[in-house]
Amino acid sequence: METEQFNIRMPKDLVQDLDIISKLLKVNKSEWVKTKLAEEVREEKNKLLMELSTLYANGMINKEKIEKLVGKEVADEMESIKIIAQKSVKRGLEYGKKLRKLHS
Amino acid sequence: MAKSSENYILDTSALISLESINILEQVLKLFSIITTNSVIKELGDFAKYDDRYGKIAKNVLKLKNRFTIESCEIKESIKYLESTDNELYNLALKKKLPLITDETKFVHHTRDKIEVYFTAIFLVMLKEAGYFTKMKALNKLEELRDIRNWRNNIIYLITKSELEKL
Repeated sequence: METEQFNIRMPKDLVQDLDIISKLLKVNKSEWVKTKLAEEVREEKNKLLMELSTLYANGMINKEKIEKLVGKEVADEMESIKIIAQKSVKRGLEYGKKLRKLHS
Repeated sequence: MAKSSENYILDTSALISLESINILEQVLKLFSIITTNSVIKELGDFAKYDDRYGKIAKNVLKLKNRFTIESCEIKESIKYLESTDNELYNLALKKKLPLITDETKFVHHTRDKIEVYFTAIFLVMLKEAGYFTKMKALNKLEELRDIRNWRNNIIYLITKSELEKL
């Protein structure tokens, strides 16, 4: 996995607490912080994107605004999902009507 | 119940989704379903485990004699997709048939090239054809919203809003 250096200054108390955790769990301090940070980032990212996707699906925010907030890649994917979800419903309705006639 | 003339190509995610809400058998009664050997292999890999998806995959495989299973040469490859998805994409191109998947990445990279839909299409169809009540369709949609991420959230909200209008 490609990595990037990311330096942060932490309060001494927090570092001491980390030392305790590291000794008790017999784990590497950096590895433990990395794992916990990854969990938190994943959860927070999903929560925020859930809120953004709800606004987008409900038409309260447009693609351009999404692109400004989180970038083109996510905005393009959201647009694709919305378009295909709408098409799935449209096609489902059209063929459902045909099916009803076929079996009536 | 006579089978319609409609044919659909389904990937692993679609087969798993439909079986997870117990409508795969009904879909098979109404439509001709085509898939590939690679999808059957993927289902076999899921079925090795005894978790929820493993059990669903085993149930899908019990119905495999009712699918048409094909292989397709990959003549046109999309670099963002795995080989299983590229084979399905080529099959959809070759047969000019709609592809059903719940993989949003798959949809995103193929939607301008082939006809592609989410499995919610069958919920809407069955409701509109009179096999489901609106309430049953909405309940099944809620069950389908198994993985709560932003991608599935959009599919859920769009389909729910349209179903509620019916």
